[in-house]
Amino acid sequence: MPDLIASYRPISGVPDEMVAADGSVKPGWLDLMHTLDRLGGEELTARFQRADQYLRDAGVFYRMYEGSEQGERAWPLAHIPLLIADSEWQQIEAGLTQRADLLETVIADIYGNNELVREGLLPPELIAQNPAFLRPMVGIKPASGHHLHFCAFELGRGPDGRWWVLGDRTQAPSGAGFALENRVATTRALSDVYGSLHVRRLAAFFRDFRNNLTRLSGDGSGRVGILTPGPLNETYFEHAYVARYLGFLLVQGEDLVVVDGEVMVRTVSGLKPVSVLWRRLDGEFTDPLELRQDSEIGTPGMVEAVRRGTINFVNALGAGVLETRALGAFLPAIAQARLGTDLLLPNIATWWCGGTLARDYVREHLPDMLVGPAFSTLLAIDDDGATQAAANLSEPDHQALLERIEAAPKSFAAQEAVTLSTAPVYIGGVLEPRPVTLRVYAARTENGWSIMPGGFARVGYSLDTSAIAMQRGGQAADVWVVSEKPVEQVSLLAGSSTMVERTPSGNLPSRAGDNLIWLGRYAERCEAMVRILRAYHLRLAETGSETHPLLVATSEYLEALGLDTAEPVPQGLLSTFDGAVRSASQIRDRFSPDGWLALTDLQKTAQRFARVIKPGDDATRAMTVLLRKLAGFSGLVHENMYRFAGWRFLEIGRRLERGIQIADAAAWFGRDDAPDGAIDMLLEIGDSVMTHRRRYGYSLGGLGATELLITDPLNPRSVIFQMTELLEQLKALPHGVVEGQLSETAKLALRLHTQLAVIDSAEVTPENLIEVANGLGEISNSIAQAYFG
Amino acid sequence: MLYDVKLTLDYGYDPPVSGGRHHVRVCPRTLPGIQRVVASTLTVSPTPSEHTEFTDFFGTRVAALAFRAPHDALQVTMTARVDVERSDGDIDLTPDLGTLYSDIEKCPSMGATSPHHFLGASPRVAASPSVTAYARQSLHAARTVREIANDLCLRINADFAYDGNATKVDTALDEAFELRRGVCQDFAHIMIAGLRGLGIPAGYVSGFLRTIPPEGQPRLEGADAMHAWVTVWCGREAGWIEFDPTNAMPAGRDHIVIGYGRDYADVSPIVGVLRSAGGHETSQAVDVLEVA
Repeated sequence: MPDLIASYRPISGVPDEMVAADGSVKPGWLDLMHTLDRLGGEELTARFQRADQYLRDAGVFYRMYEGSEQGERAWPLAHIPLLIADSEWQQIEAGLTQRADLLETVIADIYGNNELVREGLLPPELIAQNPAFLRPMVGIKPASGHHLHFCAFELGRGPDGRWWVLGDRTQAPSGAGFALENRVATTRALSDVYGSLHVRRLAAFFRDFRNNLTRLSGDGSGRVGILTPGPLNETYFEHAYVARYLGFLLVQGEDLVVVDGEVMVRTVSGLKPVSVLWRRLDGEFTDPLELRQDSEIGTPGMVEAVRRGTINFVNALGAGVLETRALGAFLPAIAQARLGTDLLLPNIATWWCGGTLARDYVREHLPDMLVGPAFSTLLAIDDDGATQAAANLSEPDHQALLERIEAAPKSFAAQEAVTLSTAPVYIGGVLEPRPVTLRVYAARTENGWSIMPGGFARVGYSLDTSAIAMQRGGQAADVWVVSEKPVEQVSLLAGSSTMVERTPSGNLPSRAGDNLIWLGRYAERCEAMVRILRAYHLRLAETGSETHPLLVATSEYLEALGLDTAEPVPQGLLSTFDGAVRSASQIRDRFSPDGWLALTDLQKTAQRFARVIKPGDDATRAMTVLLRKLAGFSGLVHENMYRFAGWRFLEIGRRLERGIQIADAAAWFGRDDAPDGAIDMLLEIGDSVMTHRRRYGYSLGGLGATELLITDPLNPRSVIFQMTELLEQLKALPHGVVEGQLSETAKLALRLHTQLAVIDSAEVTPENLIEVANGLGEISNSIAQAYFG
Repeated sequence: MLYDVKLTLDYGYDPPVSGGRHHVRVCPRTLPGIQRVVASTLTVSPTPSEHTEFTDFFGTRVAALAFRAPHDALQVTMTARVDVERSDGDIDLTPDLGTLYSDIEKCPSMGATSPHHFLGASPRVAASPSVTAYARQSLHAARTVREIANDLCLRINADFAYDGNATKVDTALDEAFELRRGVCQDFAHIMIAGLRGLGIPAGYVSGFLRTIPPEGQPRLEGADAMHAWVTVWCGREAGWIEFDPTNAMPAGRDHIVIGYGRDYADVSPIVGVLRSAGGHETSQAVDVLEVA
């Protein structure tokens, strides 16, 4: 017996996932624990750190909402996977398949013929007064014929050893992408044992689901989109991740527009049809015209498109009503009536206090109950704000609860308070039992429901069941379904023909294009700022005086850029980094994890410097570090990003900004009355000191600098070089050249380019340069009008 | 009683709006026993890029409009000839509250006229303990549901001042209740909240009033604009009965219905989403004339 098991103390009377009641160890666990034992504490700790490092590098995070702790939190992975025997899993699969079919029957009836209400199987007020019941959907049959395509179920093992359904997630279930990341991170740490156990793979599930979404899109002219509420949502990372993994468009409500009853996405190539939306926001937010009027993340006219049958939602708008807690009280009878059988997997015993018998039962058994709002869509264990465990109440509170139930019985639902089973977590070198729930995903395919084999369990922070909520310190664990036989090996990337089809080109949403331009501009602006700041502090260290005319002039210039030289790492620089990160966060699905990591590292480094760096030498060195990191970021983007329209917009942003920055700096430092040393300073800012020396020696000063930084077509820092690149990119954009004709934007760029190409460098005045900078600004506006309008 | 109804809604935008999508609910509908629409037309200027029609959950006719070109004004004109055929309901067939509650229990329906839709909170009518307490006083004098509703209708009319400047279209229910003033929309919402607080299903009616009263009778309040009143479910036998708290009367042959909903939000004459940076001005004109 491995030490880890020998020292493990499950709680008596509570089922444990690893050790059975008779003390025997369940299948698979022995192998896993032998391996962990053999590796030893030190190696294990190192491996678990590696898993965490992977999650950090991949940018897996979770957004906190509660209290002051708002912000991103590293994905809390419990490193020991939960093992479940395939034979047991097959029962779960059968039970959830039956349940998903039953839920489809119920939802089709709720928005259809209402036979369940007529037959007394469902109380009408439970639907009619339910905020998740969307009246505009009544009578609309989904174009695909089904309301439900993707569901999740929360399962717990009760004291009798059976799995119980604690809740149904049909609104917009999250976490499938996290399950994938759980798997990747866990197998990084435990690759050897993962390889030797027959663990069922997750990829086939995603392949089936993806194929189904593609199938729903019909003839393939309409795109499949993942509709996200945006970067502020707690699971936005997952939306971006899944979009990237499955190769679907990630869109927000403002990216979409309804035209003549059809949903279109605004792309840089114009409006393109969308025919399937996997929505990751609650249905009522999708249309401010016909659903929630205060929604700012919806698309007016969306319901109209649903009515016309031109869009398939996964899941149908209004499907969230199935999450209603009190509904659980009626599912067993509905199963009997509609399927002629019991539920294979029972749901947690639930009573709706609106019924007299149920109310009496709840009153008599109150200490065994969790009591909460009937319409709540949260799991009772996740909802301890509104749901009370009657056993924990004081006598007066107990009485008060009874009175509240009596006053408005229909508003209350009660559920049996059960103790969940425990699973081992690794804490300080030993295993300890913690309560656990499973989250299981079901996807509709052409051949019925496909159930994701494992991937996601939630493990409590303490022995208290309510501490399972992630917002309250709960952790996620991978779930391994262990088979006795070898399992099918599938990778989503492998060459099966259905998986390699490329998504249609011209799919870049306008908003993404806009953000890419701004990412390019912010990154370039950061670089320009850092170069000038470095030049400033270098001279400050040399002269030791801020009143030196060149430093005063530089200070003035920086002030115009929003930078205060009194701060060694000015606030204005930090906000520019923030701007870059903000733009990038909007387009996480188009961004490599490495690029994201490099960018957030830059932001954090700059913030850290701002706290500790002193003017002069110290700041010079700090700026050098930032420059190096910026170069690293640019390199990553330049070397690794596929040359699709998105990359072009990023590149356009960089070229525009660099052109503007150089032109502005040259106008200021190159003016006739500039202080001594300004030309050297300019060359340094333009990163062209060496070239200048090689080409012009120590003579010529201003004139050489102008030529090099403005009109030299071979200097990658010159304004004309930016113009050339810009023009090339503009031509390569959608509609950049149509039948030999340049787009209006490209014409503007060509004019500016020609102007600069024919000018004699001796004639260039600061006024010319300001004009050039303004001209670049106009091009930027013209791009926005043509592609993002 | 035969009427010609004309409604004009005018919107001005400064600066012009670049697009927009609206749902317009202004056309009366035929309701057996209440009214028959002989003819109706809806014209919109400028001509919308899209103009379709559908019927919403509660049966109201909705015109769905979309504009793509920039415009600085929008005018919606509705004309209709409507034959109002309400009868005076003299005999009170409505039950007491206890019977009403059991009638509700025995109504296994999700249809648009099912009382279950009109009991809980709705977007503009949240449960209000103070309004419920106010409504409860009507239980002293009245026995049947109709008497209760009628008493509440009269009390709201007596206790509240009609004041077009006291509230706005989005004034919260409790605020209007505290002010004890408002317009037809406020009175209707307060009456609905009160009735629901007592467990009586109540809904919102959007419609018109005749403009010029019959000889010798006073002009009705709210006749120069669109009007709103309340519909109350009075048990299985009596069904829905309409009350106008603004004019302290049951809805009669002077009332023309556009549609029903749980509150204003379900039947507002025009809802829209505009891409606009600026404000807008609105005005409406209503004429309801008896056809000679």
